[in-house]
This record gives sequence, structure tokens and C-alpha cells, in this order.
Amino acid sequence: DMSSHNRSQSSARRGDYVWQYEYYDDEPVSFEGLKAHRYSIVIGFWVGLAVFVIFMFFVLTMLTKTGLTHDPKAYKPYIENRNGLVNIICQKDDDSDDNNAVSRAFLAESRSYFNFYISKEGEGKRWQKPGTKQNGSQGTFNQSGGPGPAVTEQEDEDMRDRLPFDGLLADETRTDTDCDFLSHFNIPNFVTCEHNSSLGEDDPLCGPPITPDRNIPSN
Amino acid sequence: MNTSMNKTDCPELTVPVPVFFTIGVFSLMENLLVVVAVIYNRNLHSPMYGFMCSLAGFNTIASLAKTCENVLLVFADAGQLEKIGSSETKLDDVIDSLLCMSFLGSIFSFLAIAVDRYVSVFHALRYHNIMTMRRTGTSLGIIWTICGVSAMFIVSFFDFKFIMIFFVCLFLICFVVICFLYVYMFMLARNHARKIVSVNSGGAITLTILFGAFVLCWAPFFLHIIIMAVCPTDPYCECYRSLFQLHVLLLMSHALIDPAIYAFRSAELRHTFRKMLPCS
Repeated sequence: DMSSHNRSQSSARRGDYVWQYEYYDDEPVSFEGLKAHRYSIVIGFWVGLAVFVIFMFFVLTMLTKTGLTHDPKAYKPYIENRNGLVNIICQKDDDSDDNNAVSRAFLAESRSYFNFYISKEGEGKRWQKPGTKQNGSQGTFNQSGGPGPAVTEQEDEDMRDRLPFDGLLADETRTDTDCDFLSHFNIPNFVTCEHNSSLGEDDPLCGPPITPDRNIPSN
Repeated sequence: MNTSMNKTDCPELTVPVPVFFTIGVFSLMENLLVVVAVIYNRNLHSPMYGFMCSLAGFNTIASLAKTCENVLLVFADAGQLEKIGSSETKLDDVIDSLLCMSFLGSIFSFLAIAVDRYVSVFHALRYHNIMTMRRTGTSLGIIWTICGVSAMFIVSFFDFKFIMIFFVCLFLICFVVICFLYVYMFMLARNHARKIVSVNSGGAITLTILFGAFVLCWAPFFLHIIIMAVCPTDPYCECYRSLFQLHVLLLMSHALIDPAIYAFRSAELRHTFRKMLPCS
């Protein structure tokens, strides 16, 4: 009848899903006359998988060692406006190299800069420009409930958290003089402008520069 | 040779129930912690953490369903439950649907996380216009709806080969897209950091862990599904299918290590945990 038909069908398909249910009700599989080892698929699969993972690791490692063609178009807008378009731009001592467009904006102890925090409260007021809003104890920054906008070690680590490769920097040794190439991944949550930036007219991200002592948070 | 053993020479590999229980409970706790932390801390109300929360949510459901299934198994083995009763079958269907939904959801969440990271790298200036919280919420809603509906379809119509093929193709497509996104991001990132070798080697390790874990944990199960569809009576395939419990165990382990790969690497999230847990 219907229920037993359904049952046998479901046991056939679910024999593998719920293992204690009539697993061997299917027609018996003959194991006689096998040419290769019975677990050959299993072994072959796992070996192939291991090879793939190791191969992938070597490919990735080799990508780090060898050079790749640099596509300047991807970062052209960032290179053009060197003076403060978010934190893509790197203020290096050897400024002549346009290809090294990496920000070193998080060197709090060596330069002054300010951060624009993305407001978490609503999409409408996503960008808080300093000077446009004075929020009492929060000064010119608007960040709901988060760590203060001071440039501190903790904040530096938080900035790292917004990176796509989250753990990438967790175990890296970083020197003060190296540009943090991953810092440009911080864009979604932070915008860093040089304090002496010149404003591009279509640059919505950098507000008018403010002096560093106005940055000091009071929360 | 014992000819009466021609039923199967590949005895089914059984994983002890306590192992499943342990993994299930730990995975449940971890992922629940991530979900609660993201909801609790307003700083974490961003697209990236939203997708991580969704991933953790799916993993939570998977762990919960698996743990319930284990409990049912224990009861069934102890004779408390009838193995072929209709209510047990329905319950089994529900559990299968939940598992299926969470597996699908995990894949879609990985995809969403990869897309989010891709947008944050390549469209950095417009990131906040592209990845609004509204769009994040919408896409999460769509993901959850699709996964729920697909899971019901898959479990109800599992007999049709088409469903299985669809499932597998979905996995492959998502995997390829995720692969492409991450490798492309990685390649561009290291373009700008040619001088910093130490950072890059770390990136290679991170990516390997990310992909390696995904592939190692998911591929066996999906090959299992393929084999069930393609060669149900072949003895070699039978031997592969006898490792079913191991494959499910691997899936569970992925739910266990997912938070470590994605969520726990964020200091903000760890900071939230320390605030939430009473022992700190």
C-alpha cells in the first residue's frame, strides 16, 4: 500500500541519511571479482584532495614570490589624488613611485591625522564630517557605543579587524616604516585623511582638516 | 573467503555517538556565541559581521539538528523509539531539511562574505553605497528564504536525480566563484605589497586555511551525494558510501572551525565576548 511504498522508497534514499534505518535493505552489492582494492575510490579521492590543497598552497606562495603584472587602471583614481583620497595613498619618503599606493596612515606616533568614523546609526548620516556636528562628549565624531576615536593601539587593532584577510595581520611583524598594504581594506569602516589634505571637489570623504588637538576624545 | 559476506565487504564505519555529541555541542556553543555577540554589540552591525552572523546562525542550526538527531538515535537504539514509525519519519524529515538548509546556507554565506570582501577591496570608495545595511538585510533574507525552500524541496524530492545534480552544481559554482574572488583579491593585494614578503606569506597561509578547510570538509560529502546518484550498486562506490558517518563528521567539524577562521580573528568580536562572558 501507499505507506509501505513510501517507506521503501524513503528507506532507499534515506538509508544513507539515517544510518541505522535499514541501511542494507538495498539489493546486495557483489564484491566478488574486484580488480582493484575495494577502497580505491576512497584512497584516490583523499590523495587527490590533499594534492589539490598542497598545490593551492604552493600556487599562493609562489604568487607572493614572483611578480605579477600590475594593473594601474584599478587604482588610477587613487594615484591621481595623492593628497588625501582616503587611505589608499601612501606618503612614502620616496614619493616618486606611483605604484606603491599604499597607506601608512596608522602611524599614530609619527604623524597626526584624523579619522572619520562611519556612523553606525543610519545610512542617512553615514559620513560624519568634523565640524558639522558637535556631539558633546563625543566631540566631532559620531560613533555609537564604540571605542573612542583616539588613535590608540586598541584602535589600530580594530582597524585591522575590518580587513578581508582578517587574520592576515594577526601574526605579521609590522614595522613602523612599512606601508600597510592592507590598510586600504579599511575603507568600509574608516576613512583616513592626511591632515593637510587638499580637498578634491568630488571627494566626499575628506572634510576640512582640523587641528589634532580637537581630535582628543572626551569619552 | 567467506562467501556469505558478499552482501558487503565494506562494513559501515561508525563514529561513536559521544564524538558527534561533543562536536555538536561545542560547535553549537561557539556559533551561538558569535550570533549573540554580533547582535549585542552595535559596532558589529555592519555588512561583514552580518554575513558572519548569518554563517554562524546556519552553523548553529546544523549543530542543533545534528545533536537532536544523535539524541533520537540514542533513544532509538535503546528501544524507546520505533525506527519506522511515521512520526519518527516526519521528525527525520524535519531534521534532514534543517541540515540541508544549513549546509546550503553555509555555502551562500561564504559566498556573501567573499562578495563583501571583494566589494570592500575593489569598490572601496563606494563600499558604503553598494553595501548598505538595507541591502545586507535583504540579501540575508533572500538567502535564508532560498535555503529554507530549497531544503524542503531537496528532502521531499530527493529521489529525483535532478535535485541531486542541482545541489552538486550549486556547490561547485559557489566554490568556483569564492575561489576566484579570493584569489583575485589576494593577487591584487600582493601587487601593492611586493616589498613586504612577510605579510604575503601570511596571506597565503590564511587563504590556504580558508579554502583548505572548506574543501576538506565539504568535498567528501558532496562526492558522497554524487556517488549515490551515479553508482548506487557499484562495489567501489559502496565502499566509499560506507564512510558516510565520517563525511557527516567532517561537515560538523567545519561548523566547529568556522568561527575560528572567520569570526574569532576579529579583535572587536573577541572584545565583545570578553564583555559578555561573566568569567572575565
